[in-house]
Amino acid sequence: MKRRLLWVLMFLLCFNSACSGTLSLPAAAYVDLEQRVPLPTPLNSAVAPLRVAVAAVISPQGTVESYNLLLESLQSHLNRPIELVQRRTYLEINDLLEQGQVDVAFVCTSAYIAGSEKFGMELLVAPQVKGETVYYSLLLVPSDSSATSIADLRGKVFAFTDPISLSGRMYPTYLVMQQGSTPDEFFGRVFFTYSHDQAILAVANKVADGAAVDSLVYEFFLARDATIGEKTRVIHRSPPFGIPPVVVNPALRPQLKLDLQNFFLSLHEDAQGQAALKAIGVDRFVPIEDSAYQSVRDLLSNLNATR
Amino acid sequence: MKAHPSLQMLFQRFWEIAGGVSVRSKILGIVLGLVILLGLGITVQVRQALTRTMAAQLAEQSVSVARDLAARSTDLILLNDLFALHRLLQETKANNQNVAYAFLLDTNGQVLASTYGETFPVDLIAVNPIEPTAHHHTLVLATNQGYVWDTAVPILEGQVGTARVGLSDASLRRMLVTITNQLLLTTALVSLIGITAATFLTWILTRPILDLAQAAQAVAQGNFTKRVKRWANDEIGELATAFNQMVSELAKAEEIRREREFLRRQLLEKVIVTQEDERKRIARELHDSTSQTLTSLIMGLKVMESGCADIQTQLQARELRQIAVQTLEEVHDLAMQLRPRLLDDLGLRAALERLVKEWQTRYRIAIDLMYHVSQERLPDVVETALYRIIQEALTNVARHAQAHNVSVLIEQRGEELVAVIEDDGIGFDISRIGLSDTAQAHLGLAGMQERAALLGGTITFESEIGRGTSIYIQLPISKVMQNELEDYGIARG
Repeated sequence: MKRRLLWVLMFLLCFNSACSGTLSLPAAAYVDLEQRVPLPTPLNSAVAPLRVAVAAVISPQGTVESYNLLLESLQSHLNRPIELVQRRTYLEINDLLEQGQVDVAFVCTSAYIAGSEKFGMELLVAPQVKGETVYYSLLLVPSDSSATSIADLRGKVFAFTDPISLSGRMYPTYLVMQQGSTPDEFFGRVFFTYSHDQAILAVANKVADGAAVDSLVYEFFLARDATIGEKTRVIHRSPPFGIPPVVVNPALRPQLKLDLQNFFLSLHEDAQGQAALKAIGVDRFVPIEDSAYQSVRDLLSNLNATR
Repeated sequence: MKAHPSLQMLFQRFWEIAGGVSVRSKILGIVLGLVILLGLGITVQVRQALTRTMAAQLAEQSVSVARDLAARSTDLILLNDLFALHRLLQETKANNQNVAYAFLLDTNGQVLASTYGETFPVDLIAVNPIEPTAHHHTLVLATNQGYVWDTAVPILEGQVGTARVGLSDASLRRMLVTITNQLLLTTALVSLIGITAATFLTWILTRPILDLAQAAQAVAQGNFTKRVKRWANDEIGELATAFNQMVSELAKAEEIRREREFLRRQLLEKVIVTQEDERKRIARELHDSTSQTLTSLIMGLKVMESGCADIQTQLQARELRQIAVQTLEEVHDLAMQLRPRLLDDLGLRAALERLVKEWQTRYRIAIDLMYHVSQERLPDVVETALYRIIQEALTNVARHAQAHNVSVLIEQRGEELVAVIEDDGIGFDISRIGLSDTAQAHLGLAGMQERAALLGGTITFESEIGRGTSIYIQLPISKVMQNELEDYGIARG
């Protein structure tokens, strides 16, 4: 009797140990997770890619989506792989340009001015939008905000884009200083979004009570998403500034520079190029002189002087 | 319906086992068998259901984690922020216990960052390829660390790379172990309860049956006073009632049988006593009257013989006298055979000595008598019975045994008289007693047994063909037996 009970318990125990933790599933493949090897260092491709940097005017993901066609055209034009380089801040792009780790860059106006002063960053071409090569800094507030000028934003939350962005930080700082204050004193709180599209979204979603953004980005966004216009309102428009240019490292081979210039200037001449231009919201690329940025230089030196 | 032979054999085998164990084991077997079958069945079912559900959940979770990782890593990859990627992967793993690994591939299929760190299981890269346009692709991988639900999600439609996440089955296995243990524990507990219940049930069921068996044994041993209790109004209760009725009937029948037996014995005893008395009377008559007459006749003839001068008459008288002498002897023999006077006058020993001597003379077979009884005289009935039994036995030996030597031993052993009659004759097959050709012999043997039984004794025959025959007779001579004999009305002088 006791022995029989023991048998039963033994059986249960066996059943338990035999199958309680086992699973049987149809598996697609077998992989030995213990058999690991050191990761190979990525090999340099036989052909050195042309490294194109795009400053974080809009978010990295948006940049990829917008610049994809342009970069593909460039790749087929040069018959050379293109590597898109993005960094969180404008200054990082400037550093990469200075160190020759980037060949061509779409930079912000203020970044160009800083770069040209620091290491002679060279202008390649500039985009033309709606027939002009200028842009504005727009002061945005949520559409239901009662603010009508920068003065009404005192003590509110303000979103800057990049620390050295002309339209996103320098110009609103200039406006605050005209009010006889500094941004830290004037605004209740400030934060950086590092890109203009994020700043627009911050205002649209009322994370920020106000932000200053690149008019090109704002209009580009308006065209794509009408709800942005419903959620935000422009309460101030700056005087025109020289448009953010395409620049090159001063050490770039003159032949390549010329090649690149030709590419950009002739981009609007075929359908593929037009599609690429449309994707970034640009009519065409045009040559541009450094003098186009003199007004910005004056504003910045004025700002620095006031500080 | 005709069952398959192997099925029949299986059933037979089952019945050999099931039929060979006690009711207690049967009930226990049924209860335990059902409980364990149910427990195991439920365990298997629950495990299967749980595995299905949790596998689906893990697959779903793997997709959501991978998509989350893809979304969160897009900008970091574009910004080439490898440290942030590393942190993102570590967080993904830390925040989700089921994540076995997570890694990011660039557009060339090279590992950008992984939760494995410096080294990487390279086989993993190729097992789950995905189209850039696909939403996600999940498959189950068998690994040396268990199953893994591997999901690949293209980042930014493959323009940036691919996010891969593997969810391990550890939690599923843990759950399975826990559930299985709980269910088996429950089964074991229920089995214990079942054993208790079955034991109780068995006790309730078998108690009346065992009572019945005991009572039946008692009845078999002749105790008709035994009655069983009716425990319950069920089938076994019915059986108990029927059993009690049967015992009552048996008791009545036994009573009747005993009465008849008593009457039969009384009758038999009367017959034997009457026969003995009659023989005695005739023997006495022959001895006293006929013998006296014959003696007178002989005397007369002798006188006539000596007194007569006529030779012719003399010779005739002598001849007649000789016939008369011979007749007298025959009358003596007859009286002797009917009832030896010696038995009444001098006892068993003298009677037997005489019997043996005459038997030897008559049949010319060597016979040896040993008589070891301290008492001078035994009870009359015992002496008569034993004398008659030995007489019958010797008659049988003379008639059937073809023996050369016979020995008769009579011995007193305590309150018992033991007689052994052995011969070296042809013997006989005891099992054939009662068949027609030995009916005569059987009657003789039965008569011997009856005589012994009347006195409360026994007779045992031992014989084998060619090995002679032994007859053992045991007769009680105690006071108790004497009393019992008196009860039967046998112990008369």
